Amino acid sequence: MKSERIHHLMLSLCLLAVVGLAAPVLATERTPDHRRLNYPRLNDVVVPEVQRVTLANGMRLLILEDHELPLIYVSSRIRVGSVYEPPDKVGLADITGEVMRTGGTTSRTGDELDDELEQIAASVETSIGQDAGYASVSALKGDIDKALAILADVLMHPAFRDDKIELAKMQHRSSIARRNDSPRSIASREFDKLIYGPASVYARHTEYATIDNITRGDLAAFHKRFFGPNNMMLAVWGDFDTREMVARIEKAFEGWEKIDLYLPAKPEVDYAWRSTVNLVSRPDLNQSNIYLGHIAGLMSDPDYAALTVMNQVLGGGFTGRLFKNVRSRQGLAYSVFGTYSSRYDRPGVLSMGCQTKSESTVHAIEAIVAEARKMTTEEVTDEELELAKDSYLNSFVFNFDSTAEIISRLMTYDYYGYPPDFLQKTKESIEKVTKADVLRAARAHLRPDAMQILVVGRPEDFDRPLSTLGEVRSIDVTIPTPGK
Amino acid sequence: MGRADRRHGGAARSAALVVVLSMACAGIAQDLAEFESRVTQFTLDNGLRFIVLQRHEAPVVTCYTHANVGAVDEVTGITGLAHIFEHMAFKGTRTIGTKDYEAEAIALAKIDAAFEAIKAEKAKLGAVDEQRLAQLRREFQEAQQEAQQYLVHDEFDEILKQAGGVGLNAGTSSDYTVYFVSLPSNKLELWMLLESDRFLNPVLREFYKEKNVVMEERRLRTETQPVGKLLEEFLAVAYKAHPYGEPVIGHMSDVEAITRAEAEAFFRTHYGPSNLTMAVVGDVDPARVQTLAQEYFGRIPYRPAAEPVETVEPPQPGERRVVVEDPAQPFVLIGYHKPSINHEDNAVFDAITDIMGSGRTSRLYRRLVRDQKIAMATSGFQGMPGQKYPGLFLFYAMPARGHTNQECEQAIYAEIERLRSEPVTAQELEKAKTRARAALIRQLDSNSGLAELLTFYEVLTGDWRNLFKQLEQIDRVTAEDVQRVARTYFTTKNRTVGIIETTISESES
Repeated sequence: MKSERIHHLMLSLCLLAVVGLAAPVLATERTPDHRRLNYPRLNDVVVPEVQRVTLANGMRLLILEDHELPLIYVSSRIRVGSVYEPPDKVGLADITGEVMRTGGTTSRTGDELDDELEQIAASVETSIGQDAGYASVSALKGDIDKALAILADVLMHPAFRDDKIELAKMQHRSSIARRNDSPRSIASREFDKLIYGPASVYARHTEYATIDNITRGDLAAFHKRFFGPNNMMLAVWGDFDTREMVARIEKAFEGWEKIDLYLPAKPEVDYAWRSTVNLVSRPDLNQSNIYLGHIAGLMSDPDYAALTVMNQVLGGGFTGRLFKNVRSRQGLAYSVFGTYSSRYDRPGVLSMGCQTKSESTVHAIEAIVAEARKMTTEEVTDEELELAKDSYLNSFVFNFDSTAEIISRLMTYDYYGYPPDFLQKTKESIEKVTKADVLRAARAHLRPDAMQILVVGRPEDFDRPLSTLGEVRSIDVTIPTPGK
Repeated sequence: MGRADRRHGGAARSAALVVVLSMACAGIAQDLAEFESRVTQFTLDNGLRFIVLQRHEAPVVTCYTHANVGAVDEVTGITGLAHIFEHMAFKGTRTIGTKDYEAEAIALAKIDAAFEAIKAEKAKLGAVDEQRLAQLRREFQEAQQEAQQYLVHDEFDEILKQAGGVGLNAGTSSDYTVYFVSLPSNKLELWMLLESDRFLNPVLREFYKEKNVVMEERRLRTETQPVGKLLEEFLAVAYKAHPYGEPVIGHMSDVEAITRAEAEAFFRTHYGPSNLTMAVVGDVDPARVQTLAQEYFGRIPYRPAAEPVETVEPPQPGERRVVVEDPAQPFVLIGYHKPSINHEDNAVFDAITDIMGSGRTSRLYRRLVRDQKIAMATSGFQGMPGQKYPGLFLFYAMPARGHTNQECEQAIYAEIERLRSEPVTAQELEKAKTRARAALIRQLDSNSGLAELLTFYEVLTGDWRNLFKQLEQIDRVTAEDVQRVARTYFTTKNRTVGIIETTISESES
């Protein structure tokens, strides 16, 4: 605080000097020029050090004390995922992750766990996503032993009771029945299938038949294969003493044996570059949902920093070109987006799009493609480069304003094999990005001539036929009903 | 969003908070006392209020404006205007967003004139001159083109973003409108400058284009979203007199017809400084906040606050029902009129929300989802469509595949009947109280969340301290209170029901 006061004094003097000539600026309605403000030095960011401990059973811990509030949080990452489930049992990973918790343990039913946890305003949850499993705890500090014991029990001894398997299946079936109720979710789901292929582990989704195929035995086997202390990381943060916490976790997971790790490689993405135009016809809509793009890349790509700057210029929030041109200038859409998304361990997707009234559908598509093309033909302006870089660097402090964020980021880097200083390195690279870098990266990674375009809407009302963009393929989103 | 844990100079105060908030024995009064020691409040001569909360965990700050104006302050013909103004508040001022305001002002007036002429021509019932209308539309387009040359697009946003601002956004509800951004804490003065200029010298440029954006927002949120559509119809039926029945986004024809002059008049009426409350939460020195506030916001001349809504919704003479036919899957919404947030029964409704609608142990989840498996999701809660005036307690269910709205509706009524006929258990009440307290603690670690809560309680209940005091009220709720409230409000006569009726079968959709 001290430094801020000193600078404030200097600031007042500066204002007098600069503004003094222009008469009593602050006393009138005329607002002074923001460019003349002098800012105090920002107080230092002290990034707390995350402690790492590996337990005898192979479980790796990340630990960070935070004594602001009497709360403790746990977040774990287990190496598992729906990428490992068989194609005729899509949904297996998700249901396993859910019923591990809801189906209770060998000693307590899921309902008993619900009662015990909700009575103390705590939560223990598990889930399995596409390429990772998650387990979390949130508890008041006084209740942490209870919550940790439940977490350990759920991870080690899930009972997979039938009533909760049935419940999970009911909810999956109900979600399938509802999956065409939101035009946006149709568009994003079908777009992923266009990019990765409908059978790809990165785009496929549940059907009634795949849910019907899943048995209790499948759940138990899936759990047994992947859940062991040497196949997970556990991050814990909050109001505790580190040494005591390590002992508590050790005790909670006592007796959990290492498992044999068998982790098949995740499928590669084999992308065939192509231009396509696709339509999901929905005569009841007055607004089109538009997605367009192609395959993208990895965060480990040397162009990652330049592409991050490019994303800022192209689709960055309220200041990107897409927002300016498609929303502000033309009033075509409320939400317009465009990001070349890089992922940790498999290629991401360039996804651009918006929702616009049926009557401006083709015009909006062309406006968005034009912005992608412009990125590959002209350098960004000095002002755009400066805005993108300043914004990244000046907001960098927000990467460190929450303990959860700091520790989760480290765990994520570790999980995907990225160095712990990846963020810092990215920042250093971004500082060096030039206009030429952005253009070169855009040319190397954007293919405006090979876009896959998808529209969910009412073609009768489009401004021009979609076929002016290329041969139109109709996508049937009818939900297959099970044979029985 | 976030747990802060930066221990730079001067942040030794956390320890006290831990002791005070620890669940063992902490009284609400103690929590409040510790919290209060970090809060500074002041009101400028023009009536503009500030709440400053110090949190020195990280060198960042959230700056939050709560304008005590919402869709409820609109009248027939200008629905959607509070929200349109919120969009327009990002378009800049006389010095931001323009290359030459004097010239631009003339060009903007031409656009307005052209728009008014189109409206006048369209109003000639049965005698619209199509040729003249086409000519006027061309003039309207040309006037927009002309004004375009003076624009510096989205400059307001760019300045904040370049300075490291994150989370810049705004929102409009029936009750109020909020504007917020988080900044590195050394950029506090920039926010003071921009935000004061925003409410001192706003220029509603690109007005008619932004209305197109809002129309797209209406299509996105309401017209192509089955539940959005249902909610709009539902509120229109639940209220016949009070403006809570009107959609915040506005009716399409109103959004189309609203003029810039109407938006400016709305601003003058509702954005006077005495109608604004600011929160500054983070790594700041309150004395400096006050100095800067006086310097920048002190420039805004006093204007009296607008009158509150005087229309009172009359009691329903009987149950009301509404149906939306849609290809979407079924959905059922049940609402009961209830008093505003300042009524003594509000805490009882909070307890009912917990017991009926929160989590896997809630009564609705256990009956409809876990046991009967007739719904994939269900809950009950208060707060819609607003809390400043008497609102609704809402129940909803999403029927499971193969099950119906009617089954879910009956199951919800069965749970309501249980609430009316027998007292809730001591365990349920205890759980509600524990969870209310824990929920509050979990909200205390986010600058932006705190800024929202402090201004909300200050403006809607008259004192930010009610954020803590509401816990005392929940603590006092008894099983008899729950039963009395259920019997008083959850009656057939006081009920509105809305459903989505699926028009075509799943296999055809």
